[in-house]
Amino acid sequence: MDSGIASYGLQYGCILIEAALIIYVARSSHRGRRGGVLLYLSCLLATALARHYALCMYGLASWQYYNLYWTTDFLLVISAFILVCLFFRRGCLHEEKMWRFVRLLLVFIFVLVAGISGLSFSHNFSHLFTFFFVVEFNQNLYFTCLVLNTLLYLLLQQIDSADDQLGLLVCGVGIQFAGPAATLALVHLTTGEGFAQSLAYFTMPLCTLGMLLVWAYAIVRVPGREVVTRSRATVLAEVTAVLNV
Amino acid sequence: MILAALILILSTAMFFFYFQVTCQKVLRRQFDREYFQSIVNANRLEFPSLRKSLEEFGTPVDYPRLRMMLKCDFLALTYLLKNAANVNQRYSNEERLLILYFRWQFLSLAVRRLLKVGEKKAVLRLTSVLQYFANVVGQRVNTVRFGNLTAADYLLNL
Repeated sequence: MDSGIASYGLQYGCILIEAALIIYVARSSHRGRRGGVLLYLSCLLATALARHYALCMYGLASWQYYNLYWTTDFLLVISAFILVCLFFRRGCLHEEKMWRFVRLLLVFIFVLVAGISGLSFSHNFSHLFTFFFVVEFNQNLYFTCLVLNTLLYLLLQQIDSADDQLGLLVCGVGIQFAGPAATLALVHLTTGEGFAQSLAYFTMPLCTLGMLLVWAYAIVRVPGREVVTRSRATVLAEVTAVLNV
Repeated sequence: MILAALILILSTAMFFFYFQVTCQKVLRRQFDREYFQSIVNANRLEFPSLRKSLEEFGTPVDYPRLRMMLKCDFLALTYLLKNAANVNQRYSNEERLLILYFRWQFLSLAVRRLLKVGEKKAVLRLTSVLQYFANVVGQRVNTVRFGNLTAADYLLNL
Protein backbone atom coordinates (compact mmCIF):
# COMPACT_ATOMS: atom_id res chain seq x y z
CA MET A 1 0.00 0.00 0.00
CA ASP A 2 1.21 3.51 -0.72
CA SER A 3 2.59 4.98 2.50
CA GLY A 4 1.02 8.38 1.72
CA ILE A 5 -2.46 6.87 1.47
CA ALA A 6 -1.95 4.95 4.74
CA SER A 7 -0.78 8.11 6.48
CA TYR A 8 -3.78 10.11 5.20
CA GLY A 9 -6.11 7.26 6.21
CA LEU A 10 -4.68 7.33 9.72
CA GLN A 11 -5.11 11.09 9.98
CA TYR A 12 -8.70 11.03 8.72
CA GLY A 13 -9.48 8.14 11.08
CA CYS A 14 -8.12 10.18 13.99
CA ILE A 15 -10.18 13.23 12.99
CA LEU A 16 -13.37 11.16 12.84
CA ILE A 17 -12.79 9.51 16.23
CA GLU A 18 -11.87 12.86 17.81
CA ALA A 19 -15.08 14.46 16.51
CA ALA A 20 -17.19 11.50 17.66
CA LEU A 21 -15.61 11.53 21.14
CA ILE A 22 -16.06 15.31 21.50
CA ILE A 23 -19.76 14.97 20.68
CA TYR A 24 -20.13 12.00 23.05
CA VAL A 25 -18.38 13.74 25.97
CA ALA A 26 -20.15 17.07 25.35
CA ARG A 27 -23.54 15.35 25.41
CA SER A 28 -22.80 13.19 28.46
CA SER A 29 -23.83 14.22 31.96
CA HIS A 30 -20.24 14.06 33.31
CA ARG A 31 -18.71 16.59 30.92
CA GLY A 32 -17.61 18.79 33.86
CA ARG A 33 -15.38 16.03 35.19
CA ARG A 34 -14.08 15.30 31.72
CA GLY A 35 -13.23 18.93 30.99
CA GLY A 36 -9.57 18.09 30.46
CA VAL A 37 -10.41 15.35 27.98
CA LEU A 38 -12.75 17.69 26.11
CA LEU A 39 -10.12 20.44 26.00
CA TYR A 40 -7.37 18.17 24.71
CA LEU A 41 -9.64 16.50 22.14
CA SER A 42 -10.74 19.93 20.88
CA CYS A 43 -7.10 21.01 20.57
CA LEU A 44 -6.26 17.80 18.69
CA LEU A 45 -9.19 18.30 16.31
CA ALA A 46 -8.46 22.00 15.71
CA THR A 47 -4.79 21.18 15.09
CA ALA A 48 -5.60 18.38 12.66
CA LEU A 49 -8.01 20.59 10.71
CA ALA A 50 -5.57 23.53 10.61
CA ARG A 51 -2.75 21.27 9.40
CA HIS A 52 -4.99 19.74 6.76
CA TYR A 53 -5.98 23.20 5.53
CA ALA A 54 -2.33 24.35 5.39
CA LEU A 55 -1.35 21.16 3.59
CA CYS A 56 -4.03 21.67 0.93
CA MET A 57 -3.27 25.40 0.54
CA TYR A 58 0.53 25.48 0.62
CA GLY A 59 1.76 21.90 0.12
CA LEU A 60 3.94 19.57 2.21
CA ALA A 61 7.28 21.21 1.40
CA SER A 62 6.12 24.78 2.08
CA TRP A 63 7.53 27.01 4.80
CA GLN A 64 3.98 27.88 5.99
CA TYR A 65 3.05 24.25 6.56
CA TYR A 66 6.35 23.59 8.33
CA ASN A 67 5.82 26.57 10.67
CA LEU A 68 2.22 25.68 11.37
CA TYR A 69 3.05 22.01 12.00
CA TRP A 70 5.66 22.66 14.67
CA THR A 71 3.81 25.62 16.24
CA THR A 72 0.64 23.54 16.65
CA ASP A 73 2.77 20.69 18.00
CA PHE A 74 4.07 23.07 20.67
CA LEU A 75 0.50 24.18 21.49
CA LEU A 76 -0.55 20.53 21.73
CA VAL A 77 2.16 19.82 24.27
CA ILE A 78 1.05 22.83 26.34
CA SER A 79 -2.55 21.59 26.28
CA ALA A 80 -1.27 18.13 27.21
CA PHE A 81 0.44 19.65 30.25
CA ILE A 82 -2.88 21.24 31.26
CA LEU A 83 -4.60 17.86 30.71
CA VAL A 84 -2.12 16.07 32.99
CA CYS A 85 -2.64 18.80 35.64
CA LEU A 86 -6.42 18.29 35.46
CA PHE A 87 -5.92 14.52 35.77
CA PHE A 88 -3.79 15.14 38.85
CA ARG A 89 -6.66 17.21 40.28
CA ARG A 90 -9.13 14.42 39.54
CA GLY A 91 -6.80 11.82 41.06
CA CYS A 92 -6.38 13.88 44.26
CA LEU A 93 -10.07 14.79 44.55
CA HIS A 94 -10.32 13.36 48.08
CA GLU A 95 -6.68 13.91 49.01
CA GLU A 96 -6.51 17.65 49.73
CA LYS A 97 -3.16 17.43 51.52
CA MET A 98 -1.63 15.56 48.61
CA TRP A 99 -3.16 18.00 46.11
CA ARG A 100 -1.54 20.99 47.84
CA PHE A 101 1.87 19.34 47.44
CA VAL A 102 1.16 18.20 43.86
CA ARG A 103 0.00 21.69 42.88
CA LEU A 104 3.28 23.18 44.06
CA LEU A 105 5.22 20.45 42.25
CA LEU A 106 3.34 21.11 38.99
CA VAL A 107 3.97 24.85 39.19
CA PHE A 108 7.65 24.17 39.93
CA ILE A 109 7.96 21.81 36.96
CA PHE A 110 6.23 24.28 34.65
CA VAL A 111 8.56 27.11 35.74
CA LEU A 112 11.57 24.78 35.37
CA VAL A 113 10.61 23.65 31.85
CA ALA A 114 9.75 27.21 30.81
CA GLY A 115 13.09 28.42 32.21
CA ILE A 116 15.12 25.73 30.43
CA SER A 117 13.17 26.35 27.22
CA GLY A 118 13.74 30.12 27.53
CA LEU A 119 17.47 29.55 27.95
CA SER A 120 17.48 27.18 25.04
CA PHE A 121 15.55 29.71 22.93
CA SER A 122 17.93 32.53 23.75
CA HIS A 123 20.99 30.37 22.92
CA ASN A 124 19.50 29.20 19.62
CA PHE A 125 17.76 32.40 18.59
CA SER A 126 19.69 32.64 15.33
CA HIS A 127 18.45 29.25 14.13
CA LEU A 128 15.18 29.12 16.06
CA PHE A 129 13.19 27.36 13.39
CA THR A 130 15.85 24.97 12.16
CA PHE A 131 14.67 21.39 11.98
CA PHE A 132 16.91 19.92 14.68
CA PHE A 133 16.25 22.59 17.25
CA VAL A 134 12.49 22.18 16.86
CA VAL A 135 12.75 18.37 17.01
CA GLU A 136 14.91 18.49 20.14
CA PHE A 137 12.67 21.04 21.82
CA ASN A 138 9.46 19.10 21.16
CA GLN A 139 11.13 15.81 22.13
CA ASN A 140 12.05 17.35 25.53
CA LEU A 141 8.53 18.68 26.06
CA TYR A 142 6.93 15.34 25.19
CA PHE A 143 9.30 13.57 27.53
CA THR A 144 8.50 15.99 30.38
CA CYS A 145 4.79 15.29 29.92
CA LEU A 146 5.53 11.56 29.83
CA VAL A 147 7.44 11.75 33.12
CA LEU A 148 4.60 13.76 34.70
CA ASN A 149 2.06 11.26 33.45
CA THR A 150 4.09 8.40 34.91
CA LEU A 151 4.23 10.24 38.24
CA LEU A 152 0.44 10.52 38.09
CA TYR A 153 0.17 6.78 37.37
CA LEU A 154 2.38 6.01 40.37
CA LEU A 155 0.33 8.39 42.52
CA LEU A 156 -2.88 6.59 41.54
CA GLN A 157 -1.28 3.28 42.53
CA GLN A 158 -0.07 4.79 45.80
CA ILE A 159 -3.48 6.13 46.87
CA ASP A 160 -5.15 2.95 45.57
CA SER A 161 -7.57 4.93 43.41
CA ALA A 162 -10.95 3.37 42.67
CA ASP A 163 -11.31 5.46 39.51
CA ASP A 164 -10.69 2.82 36.81
CA GLN A 165 -11.66 5.27 34.10
CA LEU A 166 -8.94 7.72 35.14
CA GLY A 167 -6.42 4.85 35.15
CA LEU A 168 -7.23 4.02 31.54
CA LEU A 169 -7.22 7.70 30.49
CA VAL A 170 -3.73 8.03 32.00
CA CYS A 171 -2.56 4.91 30.12
CA GLY A 172 -3.88 6.41 26.87
CA VAL A 173 -1.95 9.62 27.51
CA GLY A 174 1.15 7.53 28.25
CA ILE A 175 0.89 5.84 24.86
CA GLN A 176 0.34 9.21 23.17
CA PHE A 177 3.51 10.74 24.67
CA ALA A 178 5.87 7.77 24.76
CA GLY A 179 5.68 7.02 21.02
CA PRO A 180 6.39 10.58 19.76
CA ALA A 181 9.11 11.16 22.40
CA ALA A 182 10.89 7.96 21.31
CA THR A 183 10.60 8.64 17.57
CA LEU A 184 11.66 12.30 17.89
CA ALA A 185 14.69 11.13 19.88
CA LEU A 186 15.43 8.64 17.10
CA VAL A 187 15.15 11.41 14.48
CA HIS A 188 17.50 13.52 16.56
CA LEU A 189 20.00 10.66 17.00
CA THR A 190 20.00 9.69 13.33
CA THR A 191 20.30 13.38 12.31
CA GLY A 192 17.04 13.23 10.41
CA GLU A 193 17.64 10.23 8.15
CA GLY A 194 14.81 9.34 5.78
CA PHE A 195 13.86 6.16 7.61
CA ALA A 196 13.58 7.84 11.02
CA GLN A 197 11.57 10.74 9.60
CA SER A 198 9.10 8.50 7.80
CA LEU A 199 8.82 6.39 10.98
CA ALA A 200 8.00 9.57 12.91
CA TYR A 201 5.31 10.55 10.39
CA PHE A 202 3.65 7.14 10.95
CA THR A 203 4.24 6.71 14.66
CA MET A 204 2.72 10.01 15.77
CA PRO A 205 -0.75 9.50 14.21
CA LEU A 206 -0.62 5.81 15.21
CA CYS A 207 0.00 6.71 18.85
CA THR A 208 -2.76 9.33 18.70
CA LEU A 209 -5.09 6.69 17.27
CA GLY A 210 -4.06 4.29 20.06
CA MET A 211 -4.80 6.93 22.70
CA LEU A 212 -8.16 7.78 21.14
CA LEU A 213 -9.22 4.13 21.08
CA VAL A 214 -8.19 3.62 24.71
CA TRP A 215 -10.05 6.81 25.67
CA ALA A 216 -13.13 5.74 23.73
CA TYR A 217 -13.11 2.42 25.60
CA ALA A 218 -12.57 4.19 28.94
CA ILE A 219 -15.29 6.80 28.42
CA VAL A 220 -17.93 4.53 26.91
CA ARG A 221 -17.35 1.23 28.73
CA VAL A 222 -15.69 1.92 32.08
CA PRO A 223 -17.59 3.64 34.90
CA GLY A 224 -15.89 6.59 36.62
CA ARG A 225 -15.40 6.97 40.35
CA GLU A 226 -18.77 8.64 40.94
CA VAL A 227 -20.56 5.45 39.81
CA VAL A 228 -18.37 3.26 41.99
CA THR A 229 -18.80 5.58 44.97
CA ARG A 230 -22.55 5.65 44.56
CA SER A 231 -22.82 1.90 44.38
CA ARG A 232 -20.61 1.57 47.46
CA ALA A 233 -22.82 4.04 49.33
CA THR A 234 -25.89 2.14 48.22
CA VAL A 235 -24.38 -1.12 49.38
CA LEU A 236 -23.45 0.46 52.71
CA ALA A 237 -27.00 1.77 53.16
CA GLU A 238 -28.40 -1.67 52.37
CA VAL A 239 -26.05 -3.37 54.83
CA THR A 240 -26.94 -0.83 57.54
CA ALA A 241 -30.64 -1.39 56.90
CA VAL A 242 -30.18 -5.16 57.17
CA LEU A 243 -28.18 -4.78 60.40
CA ASN A 244 -30.85 -2.51 61.89
CA VAL A 245 -33.51 -5.07 61.11
CA MET B 1 23.20 12.96 22.04
CA ILE B 2 23.36 11.16 25.40
CA LEU B 3 20.12 12.83 26.48
CA ALA B 4 18.42 11.84 23.21
CA ALA B 5 19.60 8.22 23.62
CA LEU B 6 18.31 8.18 27.20
CA ILE B 7 14.96 9.60 26.12
CA LEU B 8 14.74 7.02 23.30
CA ILE B 9 15.36 4.09 25.67
CA LEU B 10 13.10 5.34 28.46
CA SER B 11 10.25 6.36 26.15
CA THR B 12 10.31 3.03 24.32
CA ALA B 13 10.20 1.20 27.66
CA MET B 14 7.35 3.43 28.85
CA PHE B 15 5.43 2.84 25.65
CA PHE B 16 5.49 -0.93 26.18
CA PHE B 17 4.73 -0.47 29.87
CA TYR B 18 1.60 1.60 29.16
CA PHE B 19 0.53 -0.84 26.45
CA GLN B 20 0.78 -3.72 28.92
CA VAL B 21 -1.03 -1.84 31.71
CA THR B 22 -3.85 -0.90 29.31
CA CYS B 23 -4.30 -4.54 28.28
CA GLN B 24 -4.29 -5.69 31.90
CA LYS B 25 -6.92 -3.09 32.77
CA VAL B 26 -9.11 -4.34 29.92
CA LEU B 27 -8.59 -7.92 31.12
CA ARG B 28 -9.78 -6.94 34.62
CA ARG B 29 -13.32 -6.45 33.30
CA GLN B 30 -15.79 -8.28 35.51
CA PHE B 31 -18.34 -10.65 33.99
CA ASP B 32 -21.58 -11.28 35.86
CA ARG B 33 -20.71 -14.97 36.01
CA GLU B 34 -18.05 -17.38 34.79
CA TYR B 35 -19.09 -17.95 31.20
CA PHE B 36 -15.77 -19.45 30.19
CA GLN B 37 -16.35 -22.85 31.80
CA SER B 38 -19.03 -23.95 29.33
CA ILE B 39 -16.92 -22.84 26.37
CA VAL B 40 -13.89 -24.68 27.76
CA ASN B 41 -15.90 -27.88 28.22
CA ALA B 42 -17.59 -27.70 24.83
CA ASN B 43 -14.35 -27.10 22.94
CA ARG B 44 -12.01 -29.13 25.14
CA LEU B 45 -9.73 -26.18 25.71
CA GLU B 46 -6.65 -26.84 27.79
CA PHE B 47 -5.66 -23.47 29.26
CA PRO B 48 -7.55 -23.87 32.61
CA SER B 49 -5.77 -27.11 33.42
CA LEU B 50 -2.48 -25.56 32.36
CA ARG B 51 -3.06 -22.57 34.64
CA LYS B 52 -4.17 -24.78 37.50
CA SER B 53 -1.08 -26.92 37.25
CA LEU B 54 1.12 -23.83 37.20
CA GLU B 55 -0.68 -22.03 40.06
CA GLU B 56 -1.15 -24.95 42.40
CA PHE B 57 1.76 -27.23 41.74
CA GLY B 58 4.15 -25.06 39.72
CA THR B 59 4.57 -28.11 37.51
CA PRO B 60 6.71 -27.31 34.47
CA VAL B 61 5.08 -28.64 31.31
CA ASP B 62 7.43 -29.43 28.46
CA TYR B 63 7.85 -26.28 26.41
CA PRO B 64 6.85 -27.45 22.88
CA ARG B 65 3.65 -28.95 24.28
CA LEU B 66 2.87 -25.80 26.26
CA ARG B 67 3.30 -23.63 23.16
CA MET B 68 1.10 -25.97 21.16
CA MET B 69 -1.65 -25.95 23.81
CA LEU B 70 -1.70 -22.18 24.04
CA LYS B 71 -1.59 -21.73 20.28
CA CYS B 72 -4.42 -24.19 19.65
CA ASP B 73 -6.63 -22.61 22.32
CA PHE B 74 -5.87 -19.16 20.92
CA LEU B 75 -6.79 -20.20 17.37
CA ALA B 76 -10.00 -21.87 18.51
CA LEU B 77 -11.06 -18.92 20.64
CA THR B 78 -10.25 -16.23 18.05
CA TYR B 79 -12.27 -18.22 15.51
CA LEU B 80 -15.18 -18.38 17.94
CA LEU B 81 -14.84 -14.69 18.78
CA LYS B 82 -15.24 -13.84 15.14
CA ASN B 83 -17.88 -16.36 14.16
CA ALA B 84 -19.86 -17.58 17.17
CA ALA B 85 -22.98 -15.50 17.81
CA ASN B 86 -21.27 -12.47 16.32
CA VAL B 87 -23.58 -10.69 13.89
CA ASN B 88 -20.86 -8.39 12.51
CA GLN B 89 -18.39 -11.29 12.09
CA ARG B 90 -15.45 -9.09 13.09
CA TYR B 91 -13.44 -8.39 16.20
CA SER B 92 -14.16 -5.41 18.45
CA ASN B 93 -11.35 -2.93 19.17
CA GLU B 94 -10.54 -4.35 22.59
CA GLU B 95 -10.41 -7.86 21.12
CA ARG B 96 -7.94 -6.65 18.48
CA LEU B 97 -5.85 -5.04 21.22
CA LEU B 98 -5.84 -8.25 23.26
CA ILE B 99 -4.96 -10.36 20.21
CA LEU B 100 -1.96 -8.09 19.71
CA TYR B 101 -1.14 -8.40 23.41
CA PHE B 102 -1.37 -12.20 23.24
CA ARG B 103 1.03 -12.29 20.26
CA TRP B 104 3.43 -10.00 22.05
CA GLN B 105 3.32 -12.12 25.22
CA PHE B 106 3.78 -15.24 23.12
CA LEU B 107 6.93 -13.73 21.67
CA SER B 108 8.05 -12.64 25.12
CA LEU B 109 7.52 -16.22 26.35
CA ALA B 110 10.06 -17.45 23.80
CA VAL B 111 12.53 -14.76 24.91
CA ARG B 112 11.92 -15.51 28.60
CA ARG B 113 12.43 -19.19 27.84
CA LEU B 114 15.82 -18.42 26.31
CA LEU B 115 16.82 -16.19 29.23
CA LYS B 116 15.13 -18.50 31.79
CA VAL B 117 13.41 -15.51 33.49
CA GLY B 118 9.73 -15.20 34.52
CA GLU B 119 8.42 -17.91 32.20
CA LYS B 120 5.54 -18.76 34.54
CA LYS B 121 4.38 -15.12 34.66
CA ALA B 122 4.14 -14.94 30.86
CA VAL B 123 2.16 -18.21 30.70
CA LEU B 124 -0.28 -16.94 33.34
CA ARG B 125 -0.77 -13.71 31.36
CA LEU B 126 -1.44 -15.73 28.22
CA THR B 127 -4.01 -17.88 30.00
CA SER B 128 -5.73 -14.77 31.41
CA VAL B 129 -6.18 -13.46 27.84
CA LEU B 130 -7.61 -16.83 26.78
CA GLN B 131 -9.99 -16.83 29.75
CA TYR B 132 -11.20 -13.35 28.80
CA PHE B 133 -11.85 -14.48 25.22
CA ALA B 134 -13.73 -17.55 26.46
CA ASN B 135 -15.81 -15.36 28.78
CA VAL B 136 -16.72 -13.00 25.92
CA VAL B 137 -17.72 -15.92 23.65
CA GLY B 138 -19.71 -17.54 26.47
CA GLN B 139 -21.52 -14.30 27.24
CA ARG B 140 -22.40 -13.76 23.58
CA VAL B 141 -23.67 -17.29 23.13
CA ASN B 142 -25.71 -16.95 26.29
CA THR B 143 -27.22 -13.63 25.17
CA VAL B 144 -28.16 -14.87 21.71
CA ARG B 145 -29.57 -18.13 22.94
CA PHE B 146 -31.89 -16.57 25.49
CA GLY B 147 -31.99 -12.99 24.15
CA ASN B 148 -35.53 -12.55 22.86
CA LEU B 149 -36.99 -15.89 23.87
CA THR B 150 -39.23 -16.71 26.76
CA ALA B 151 -38.76 -20.12 28.36
CA ALA B 152 -41.81 -21.44 26.43
CA ASP B 153 -40.52 -20.06 23.09
CA TYR B 154 -37.18 -21.65 23.70
CA LEU B 155 -38.70 -25.06 24.48
CA LEU B 156 -40.95 -24.86 21.40
CA ASN B 157 -37.93 -24.11 19.21
CA LEU B 158 -35.97 -27.11 20.43
